[in-house]
Amino acid sequence: MKLKVKKIRTLLVLALMLSMILTGCGSSGGQSRANNNSRNSSSETIPEATKKSNETDKDLKAAKKIVVFQSKVEITDQLEAMAKDYESETGVQAEVWGTTGDDYLQQLKIKLGNKQGPTVFSLAPGAESEELKAYLTDLSDLSFIEKITENMADEKDGKVVGIPYTMEGFGMVYNKSLVDASKVTDYNTFVEMLQEQKKAGINGFSLSQESYFLIGHILNTPFALQKDPKAYIDELVAGKVRMKDTPEFVEFAEFMEAIREYTRNPLEVNYDQETGDFATGKAASIHQGNWCYNMFKDYNPDFEMGIMPLPIAGNDKIAVSVPTCWYVNSQASPEEIQAGKDLLNWLYTSKTGEKYLMEEFGFIPVVTGMENPHLDPLSQSVSDYADSGEILSWPMNHWPAGIVDVYLVPATQKFFTTKMTGEEFLEALTDAFVQAGK
Amino acid sequence: MYRNSAFCMMDKSMLNFCGFSRFMDECTLPKRIVISLKRKHAIGGEKWQLLPVCACRSWSLPATIKMKRKSDKAWYALFVLPLVFVFTTVVIIPFLIGIGYSFISWDGMPLNEKTFVGFENFMNLFSDKRFMESARHTLTFSLISVLLINVIGLAFALSVTGKLRVKNAARSMLFTPYLIGGLILGYIWKFIFTDVFQSIGNLTGLNHFFFSWLLHPKYALAAMIVVATWQMAGYIMIIYINGIQSLPEDVIEAAKVDGAGYWQALFHIKFPLLMPSFTICLFMTLSNCFKIFDINFSLTGGGPNNATEMMAMNIYNEIFSLNHFGYGQAKAIVFFISVAIITLMQVSFTKKREVEM
Repeated sequence: MKLKVKKIRTLLVLALMLSMILTGCGSSGGQSRANNNSRNSSSETIPEATKKSNETDKDLKAAKKIVVFQSKVEITDQLEAMAKDYESETGVQAEVWGTTGDDYLQQLKIKLGNKQGPTVFSLAPGAESEELKAYLTDLSDLSFIEKITENMADEKDGKVVGIPYTMEGFGMVYNKSLVDASKVTDYNTFVEMLQEQKKAGINGFSLSQESYFLIGHILNTPFALQKDPKAYIDELVAGKVRMKDTPEFVEFAEFMEAIREYTRNPLEVNYDQETGDFATGKAASIHQGNWCYNMFKDYNPDFEMGIMPLPIAGNDKIAVSVPTCWYVNSQASPEEIQAGKDLLNWLYTSKTGEKYLMEEFGFIPVVTGMENPHLDPLSQSVSDYADSGEILSWPMNHWPAGIVDVYLVPATQKFFTTKMTGEEFLEALTDAFVQAGK
Repeated sequence: MYRNSAFCMMDKSMLNFCGFSRFMDECTLPKRIVISLKRKHAIGGEKWQLLPVCACRSWSLPATIKMKRKSDKAWYALFVLPLVFVFTTVVIIPFLIGIGYSFISWDGMPLNEKTFVGFENFMNLFSDKRFMESARHTLTFSLISVLLINVIGLAFALSVTGKLRVKNAARSMLFTPYLIGGLILGYIWKFIFTDVFQSIGNLTGLNHFFFSWLLHPKYALAAMIVVATWQMAGYIMIIYINGIQSLPEDVIEAAKVDGAGYWQALFHIKFPLLMPSFTICLFMTLSNCFKIFDINFSLTGGGPNNATEMMAMNIYNEIFSLNHFGYGQAKAIVFFISVAIITLMQVSFTKKREVEM
């Protein structure tokens, strides 16, 4: 009798466990299946929907809820506030997913790959958006497309797919009380400046150990100085040209040698120290962009600063472009796609949207008719350069994916820790491009 | 006949459990229990004695055992099945899919093109200098760290099982590093190896030793070893403590009576008896060191100039930075096979040296 009771109890426990397991997977499975179904049906209808979209756009009911996922960590709080305002104005709920920034692209790719992608997301225009081309919706029918500053929107096959966030520019961010920009115009004057500062016990020019601040941005300059930077990258990857045969790169290598000789080893400096040293007057100039102004806030620097060109081969322009664009997920349901487009339209055309873009996000206007009176000095100087048209492009966005972290950084680390010559350095960089472009 | 101690233990506990008594007529016991009982008594009977429990009860042994086995199986299933389910879904199935991916060239996005390339990924891999370099780093790193972790872990274990007064406090302090995640640990030590070391160097003038270790290829690898050892030694210590505490006192006492000193007893009595702990510890440290990623990622990031790029990091870069999913997956398969071979070799080697009491 006892035995039977025991047996029954065991069986009951087992049954309970099993049912828990089964319901556990059952419900999640059911959900994902439902999800899949809606996605499948949507992906089947997408071609029709896009065909029809031009005529029946207004008949399409927009979804009541969409998801926004984007990489710019600095504006996350403001974006959430914007989502609240958007909901109260239009009744559409926009959920903002958080990210830590560093692994944004991987997270995005995983989510897109699992068909659980956000409706609106951000990417760097160039190699990144090229890779995910199949996931980008044609946004040419948004009302403000015509007003976007020339060459700033991301276009694929003649169609606008990416709406620019803002402009960013980088070059030598310099302390006006220590450096006279008009006197640093070529290699010789640059080296003189470094020597003078070193004598005065000040670091004349500083890079920092983070991948783009170490090599990505500074290597952008000789690329941008080529007549057709994109074609040059293709030839470089194909092994048809080598950097050591291109004059701008040879001079770039001389600059790097001078930096190695006269400044503090950038591998010992991180972004915080680099900006901190600059703000406290221990560094006369740093290779940075307008984004770093936020880093100076805590220091209240008592000097004026500006951005000047890095004078490689007499260059007199700073590199200005769009770091990030908004995209709409083409694999979302037509309703969601419509809701995503509505959100972008609202952001770039409504009063509240403009307030957020300019005041809250602190963006430099990329759409004619918008103005931002509250720009910080560095952003103002980027904006001025952009208005004057004296700007370099960002060919670094077209470099093979992952090259900066995986290939360029190690080569640069070797350059700064050994006595390799500039020419050897150029050869290592060239090899990196050939290798990464395979 | 029954050299497997686990089996004897089971017999013993079963006998106790069923309420056997040594006064029971031997012929009612199954034959093998009788034999093992006899054997046990012949070797060292006084170690465990069957308790004389209430003698007469009507039962039939074979039926009880049979019943027990059945319900045992149910219990095993109850605890094992959920685990098997999880293991299958998150390890085995992805592993099989991964093998499939290693034969294609693909960037990881479902809508993008996949091309079947056969064994090309595997062929390229062996001429991939960087991958081979990373294998060399992994080997150097693992050999040194496994040695250091085990020596230090064992030394810790021996010192906190002795007559130390603060042994409980010491145990928890030595174990704490293991509780800090590898990523965070890496960032903390990065600060120590760069900023703290430089400051010490500047203050004391000992610039030959206290400089930024992470900028020098060999020292960066040493830094990795230091951090890995610092993290793992405490954990390994716990396993050794467990082993040391379950050493039979009588044997050690007998050795002492026979005149063995501390070191003699340690090397000739304790270590051979600790072999099962060695097997576990070596296996864990070997596989952990080979697969190391978190410390690598946060402490050195593979630098300077790839001098500390381990295999796991190389694979990570290939897949997630360069978007070569198929090729990276092929590397991962090769990585898996080599780690499996090395650890299996180690286990079979140390298993053979385990002694039975």
